[in-house]
Amino acid sequence: MKLIEELMERQRKEPEIVLKERLDRLSKTIELKEPDRVPLILTGCPPAFALKHAGVSGYDFYYDYERGWKAIVKFVEDYPMDSIFFEVGLEGHVLALAFPEVPEFMIATAGHITGPMHDILRDKYTKFPGRELPLTIPTGQFLGGRFMEAEEYGKLIENPAEFIRETILPRAFESLKDVHQSRIALIKTGIELSKAINSMTSIASDLTKLGYPVAPLTDAYCPVDFIADFLRHVTNMLIDIYRIPDKVKAACEVLVELILNMAFQVKNAVHVFIPLHLNEMLPPKTYNELYWPYLKKVILSLKEKGLTIWVFFEGNHEPHLETLLELPKSWGIAWFEKTDVRKAKRVLEGHTCIMGGFPTNLLVSGTPEKIEEYVKNLIKDVAPGGGFIISTGVADIPWGTSEANLRALINAVLKYGQH
Amino acid sequence: MSVSEEFIKSILELDERKALEIARRRLEAGEDPLKILGDLTIAADKIGEKYEKGEFFIADLVMAGEIMKGISELVRPKLKELGKVREVVGKLVIGTVQGDIHDIGKNIAVTMAEAAGFEVIDLGVDVPPEKFVEAIKQYNPNIVGMSCLITVGLESMKKTVDAIKEAGLRDRVKIIIGGGRVDEYAKEYAGADAWTNSAAEGVRIMLKWIREKAR
Ligand code: B12
Repeated sequence: MKLIEELMERQRKEPEIVLKERLDRLSKTIELKEPDRVPLILTGCPPAFALKHAGVSGYDFYYDYERGWKAIVKFVEDYPMDSIFFEVGLEGHVLALAFPEVPEFMIATAGHITGPMHDILRDKYTKFPGRELPLTIPTGQFLGGRFMEAEEYGKLIENPAEFIRETILPRAFESLKDVHQSRIALIKTGIELSKAINSMTSIASDLTKLGYPVAPLTDAYCPVDFIADFLRHVTNMLIDIYRIPDKVKAACEVLVELILNMAFQVKNAVHVFIPLHLNEMLPPKTYNELYWPYLKKVILSLKEKGLTIWVFFEGNHEPHLETLLELPKSWGIAWFEKTDVRKAKRVLEGHTCIMGGFPTNLLVSGTPEKIEEYVKNLIKDVAPGGGFIISTGVADIPWGTSEANLRALINAVLKYGQH
Repeated sequence: MSVSEEFIKSILELDERKALEIARRRLEAGEDPLKILGDLTIAADKIGEKYEKGEFFIADLVMAGEIMKGISELVRPKLKELGKVREVVGKLVIGTVQGDIHDIGKNIAVTMAEAAGFEVIDLGVDVPPEKFVEAIKQYNPNIVGMSCLITVGLESMKKTVDAIKEAGLRDRVKIIIGGGRVDEYAKEYAGADAWTNSAAEGVRIMLKWIREKAR
């Protein structure tokens, strides 16, 4: 019997034991020790392949929580791994930031907008399957936009919460323009949140029954990314950084507090996820002045509360790797996309747990033999000494992935990952 | 240092105020606007080089593009006023393909191509195949450029090339694709003539095509 089939059977038959093994494996790895085997974490943000596998449409996933989210359960049942990371909607953290009094939004979706919430709030940030996008498309799209002018930094800095609430929300959400409409929309959003929380609880219980670790998650941001995503749009943000660096700096200063406030809304959170966006775009000088100091502050404050920190370093982070050494040892998980994990290992060995290393496109274009070979070499080079989680980038297992290739990946980790 | 050199240097240092100020001064002094645009070509080339060497980052490219755009906007009315036209090396129709809204890279490619002397017709983002076809009929370009950063865009590129073929226009244009996620495989799949992950390289390829055609 193949190793993958053995694990599938074990997670069905003895989920408690498998769960304990998985938790132990992950925590040892984060503590930079050698676990029994290199952990494998796959992702679904959004989970295109999982949807295809379960025969669920993108529309179902975003609009019919219970039915749609079960696709994730089916996915990990048939493709066993150590943990699954997924998002159930599209970024809506600007709302979580504006309404810290309603932690339910962070609790239900970690700050993401679901399909019905998109219909109710009529935000201009996102496009959903079955609405602006074809029904069949598996993934919704976050577009962002420009909802603040360069001249408005002063107002943002003076009173960020009020400025976002009173000025940005009415611009970005069609339904939050006038008082009556907003009241209706917010009441309806509340109803959706409670539905989402119920479905999440039910999925969590299904996952536990298969031996998967489930723990409350919260989200945080680096302030520059927050401004780029929700207020100014990426291009304008990059230009602001050159034209008005002092204003950007002052805005980051005040936003750190709000972002932390948002993250702490999930009182019992165990994990916190911080997706980075502009990191690879910035030259080291700018990164060190406007990006890193605030990201560092966010990370350290979350660490102080005992959270397990997952930072997704989008793109190629190689020019900035050394800065991570300023963080305390085993501060969390550095999840890399295009960064060469061998290089990262050289810089961060004995200091930071590294995640990533498997190129997503190999799942589509490779063969099982090629994949086995790739995993074998990757593990040989990066796993010794511990502190390595094998994974793909955050953007999902692609729709076009062949089942044989994905199984080959899992099997190869089980085969060559033993320490 | 000559004015030209100082001008180019200020662009490479991303000193927006100084670059615009020199351009203004040069125009006021009655210098040929075409000379200023010629300097932009040199600057754009050096910027691309710096990016390829890892000295410049994407933020630098975006800012350099913004500065060059500002300068072109200053120079253009002056050209008109003098009744001059810049010699157009070629015509490029460009757009981000259907389903894809990423445009930072495409905009850089536009600025660089303009700086190199191309007349650029920018169709924007999420451009359906029909719109590319219409634009080819309307503007009769030498080259069509497609930008694509997401996997679903691969299908759109193929559809666009197919639509161009169907309209009987494929022989009239060269097709280049660009963007972070295109590669040789994407080029083959879509049926394009070239691919690139760098706007500067893209411009070199396009200039080569134009030269080859002239021969
Ligand atoms: C910025 C960004 C965004 C911004 C876009 C802002 C904008 N207006 O462009 C926002 C936040 C809106 C966004 C949204 C989304 N994004 Co996005 N985004 C990025 C990011 C971080 C950077 C892309 C970028 O601008 N690069 C910089 C430019 C300069 O590079 P470039 O395009 O390669 O261009 C250079 C050359 O290629 C060349 N070039 C480019 N085009 C052309 C054309 C021609 C003709 C020529 C000659 C040259 C040329 O010139 C440039 C300079 O040399 C990337 C991740 C990454 N690090 O690459 C993800 C990324 C591209 N996004 C991704 C995704 C999935 C999305 C979303 C679908 C997410 C979601 N589910 O909501 C949405 C959907 C949008 C859509 N429908 O298209 C994925 C794509 C994965 C995939 N394989 O499909 C990526 C790779 C992120 C990831 N790690 O998963 N995104």
